[in-house]
Amino acid sequence: MSALHVTSRVAASLLGGYAFVWGFVTLCIALGLEWGAPYDDARKLAQLLAFLVFLACFCWAFAAASVARVWLVLAGGGALMTGVAWWLPRAPA
Amino acid sequence: MQQSFRQSMTWLHTWFGLVLGYVLMVAFFFGALSVFDREIDRWATPHTRFEPRPMPSYDAMLAPIFKQIVPEAHELDEARSRVGTLAPTLPVMNWAAYTTHRDPVLRLFAEFAITNNPNDPDDHVHGTLTIDPRNGTVLPHDQLKIGSEFFYPLHFSLHLEWKQLGYWIVALAALVMMAALVSGVVMHRRILRELFTFRPHKHTRRSVLDLHNLTGVVALPFHFVFALSGLTIFAGIYLPVSETMFKPQAQAHAMAEAKTKGVAFRPAGVAAPLASVDAMVVEAKRRWDARGMPGEVGFLVVNHVGDVNSYVSIYRAGSDRVALVGQAVHFDGPSGRVVHEEPPPSAVAGVNEFLTGLHLQHFKHWLLRWFYVLGGLLGCVCIATGFLFFVEKRKRMHASTGVSGARWVDALAVTAVSGMVLAALSMLVVNRVLPADLAGRADWEKGAFWAAWVLALLHALWRSAPVQQARIAPAWREQCWAVVLLAVSAVLLNWITTGDHLLATLGRAYWPVAGFDLALLVSAGLAAFAALHLRRRERQARAQPLAEPVDEPTTTSAAPEAVRA
Repeated sequence: MSALHVTSRVAASLLGGYAFVWGFVTLCIALGLEWGAPYDDARKLAQLLAFLVFLACFCWAFAAASVARVWLVLAGGGALMTGVAWWLPRAPA
Repeated sequence: MQQSFRQSMTWLHTWFGLVLGYVLMVAFFFGALSVFDREIDRWATPHTRFEPRPMPSYDAMLAPIFKQIVPEAHELDEARSRVGTLAPTLPVMNWAAYTTHRDPVLRLFAEFAITNNPNDPDDHVHGTLTIDPRNGTVLPHDQLKIGSEFFYPLHFSLHLEWKQLGYWIVALAALVMMAALVSGVVMHRRILRELFTFRPHKHTRRSVLDLHNLTGVVALPFHFVFALSGLTIFAGIYLPVSETMFKPQAQAHAMAEAKTKGVAFRPAGVAAPLASVDAMVVEAKRRWDARGMPGEVGFLVVNHVGDVNSYVSIYRAGSDRVALVGQAVHFDGPSGRVVHEEPPPSAVAGVNEFLTGLHLQHFKHWLLRWFYVLGGLLGCVCIATGFLFFVEKRKRMHASTGVSGARWVDALAVTAVSGMVLAALSMLVVNRVLPADLAGRADWEKGAFWAAWVLALLHALWRSAPVQQARIAPAWREQCWAVVLLAVSAVLLNWITTGDHLLATLGRAYWPVAGFDLALLVSAGLAAFAALHLRRRERQARAQPLAEPVDEPTTTSAAPEAVRA
């Protein structure tokens, strides 16, 4: 296990995990608003779940076989969800 | 990244636990002390040793005192660095008073608007005062409330205010705490057996691991829920969605909420006097009574001070329930009539309030409060035994191969365990020794805390050399004796400087000080016991240098991988 591999794995677990959680939270809020929930309720629910999602991402980042896949799912998934969350409130009705 | 799921979880548990464990020790220990932060305040500020009392009269006492609050000097400096020059007097935005069933003194807060920041129309600075509610005397600013103003913020911010770095480090530690619990369960499997396994007379490595597993399992729900609720309390810092991606929606929501409440979101810029706030308090209490939950005022806010749009929000103290404060009644400022009584929270807000209240425990239940302390200290034991196990497992191998890793970890563990206690005790001793009217008293106290901790680190680095020969570091024993010395000194100094010896405080059942003195003496007793035990172990090890315990096959609690990793 090289130092580079460990660094990449740790960075993926924390930075990738944060990106994924950011995407999760913003997407939850955007969907909640879409379905007519008050902003504060949508935000609070997303933030209550956020750290459990982070915990799952964090543990999985070390259990997964391929570090490339960890980066792809966490950072890529986070970016994708953030993109959708950004687009949803601006989407034409 | 390891061959098996179990091995990858062991790797995570070992290395993240090692690196963030030091932060977790601080969070757990000062969190446990914060359960009794108000009581520690009483110990450290003897002129406030009187009974708590409800919120005093606003009209007769608080109104003129609020006008004396000025912005904090350091916040003004920061504001100047943001906007250049500031107006000579900043307009007051709001005033607030906050008390609990454990507060004899009353904290008053004010927010002042920074009107010339084009980037942030809501830019503001804070000011605060503490008063004696019996007569309205303003208490000196420099008398540090060691419990609520030093130990408590240390628990969640490490006093690293720059870019809120401390909050982020503690958040990472909390995440690692949850991951350590999950991975610990994966590593050990036999959860039920861990609960009943402690073999203190086996060799150190065995008994340390038993204790690590036992404390980890017995308080597992407590540790998990507190790490999680700690994170959700500051979720606004860690996931600032309302300030970034959803700023328009957050603003719109706040405005709509103000509208349903019938209160003004912004001041009108037209001056108007305030009606009797005491009458509003009477009405709020009547309404709580009518809802079947009579109570006292916990939090009182005057919004848009002096404006025709001003309104007063009165929150009930949560002494009788887990959820923090609530059941707010809002009054129109100039007329004094009720504009809105808050309905029960929505399901999500209710869960949130419950988790927050569970973590911050404002309820009046002393036994439960002690269980919180116990939970926090069990966390400390769990983390400390984790360090010890790390050292015990490696020190022989490191000694034979000349690696200094085990010695470093042991020295840092000494610093994080007994060194941390020494730092806290030094602060208390210095608090009792310094003259009451010394200028910059608070800074001396804080300086003593950090200096003692650095000294403990240096001492631990110096006196951990025998670990290099796979022996016990004398630093542990010596710092235990220092703990005994300082804890007993603190109790004696409290007696000498205030006359409040234990018989006196116990005699009049003044538990804030009696309880803390007793806790100090119990700590001294435990430290002495530990020091004597360590001396015996060190002598045994010296007497039979070659009789190192041979590892028995690990057929019980620890998973084989955990030992080999």
